[in-house]
Amino acid sequence: MVNFISIDDGRAVGQEVHDPHPHRNQLANPSNPCESIPFSLTPTSPLQSTSVPPSSRSPRLNWSEQIDTGSSIYSHVLLSISKDSTMANTIRLYLTCIRNTLEAAMCLQNFPCQEVERHNKPEVELNTSPELIMNPVLICRNEAEKCLIETSINSIRISMKVKQADELENILAKKFLRFLSMRAEAFQVLRRKPVQGYDISFLITNYHCEEMHKHKLIDFIVQFMEDIDKEISELKLSVNTRGRLVATEFLKQFI
Amino acid sequence: MEAEEEYLEAEENLEAIITRIEHKSRKIETLLKQSKPVDALKTALEGSALKTRDERCKSANWIVVHRAVMAIKDVDGMISSLDPEYYDILMKYLYRGLATGDRPTCDQCLRIHEKLTEKAGLGCILRSLSDTVNTV
Repeated sequence: MVNFISIDDGRAVGQEVHDPHPHRNQLANPSNPCESIPFSLTPTSPLQSTSVPPSSRSPRLNWSEQIDTGSSIYSHVLLSISKDSTMANTIRLYLTCIRNTLEAAMCLQNFPCQEVERHNKPEVELNTSPELIMNPVLICRNEAEKCLIETSINSIRISMKVKQADELENILAKKFLRFLSMRAEAFQVLRRKPVQGYDISFLITNYHCEEMHKHKLIDFIVQFMEDIDKEISELKLSVNTRGRLVATEFLKQFI
Repeated sequence: MEAEEEYLEAEENLEAIITRIEHKSRKIETLLKQSKPVDALKTALEGSALKTRDERCKSANWIVVHRAVMAIKDVDGMISSLDPEYYDILMKYLYRGLATGDRPTCDQCLRIHEKLTEKAGLGCILRSLSDTVNTV
């Protein structure tokens, strides 16, 4: 298959064009960790329920649709490339913004409780004294993904809402993040219950900053955000694959 | 007695602020028609009444600033030509824009945020987080 496309990410072209099963590789595309592109070119089977809704198609697809139908792979590649570059750019900006805000906000010091003697509580959780709490900051990437950062004098709380495109991703995300939250002891900085309206929350106190490096904590949070999307895409892929295999086997007996 | 006087003074000021914002928005529309987005943003940012607590004034000012911010195409040029005294105010408005959740606004705000942090530094972000007196 010849392609005369000049694009930034040559690796993605090589992957997609020579792949006999383009739809399967789409979901595992490493250059696009955050978007599971449910775009299938194989004849629709009852199990492949996902398809790209018309509203989320890239505008460049209109131009590519004028190409002969025999080169449908070509248009599929263009869609994936244009989505790749804009998606990659937005996620990069979003993560940079969060990283900068965290670097500025993570200035924590020990502060014993003002009301009760000999107690030391994370002030961001109590929310009682206005002089100890900074303005909360909400960073949205789009309508679905956002990140709330609340800082106080001795603690910082970071709550995230991950992207959930359809019902299946909703269920997978909930299960996966609940699994992680239940093991919050092992993570140390994870909160057992997410803040209302969000999927997962971190609570970092001054003690964590004393024990661990600040820049490493921030790296961890940002890396976590990147990896979550990849994990959920992989989970979705494995669920779909397994379902397809099981159904194929089961329905074979009726042939 | 004193509290009443202050209250009346504040009310008067609100009306004055809102008329000033309307005046500003007309000026900004003309500047945008003349393709001067940087001047439009400067006009939008200056004279922002940050000390007031009234939500209407803040929303009105935000609408005006939002209009100017969305019209910016060349972010680097805009930041280099902006006076440093406006960095803090712009950063506060950027965070307000990021909180809206509207995709094009967030895209634009994220773009400007990255460049503004490079220019103004982390102190700008910290001032926008910790300033409870001058809010946007």
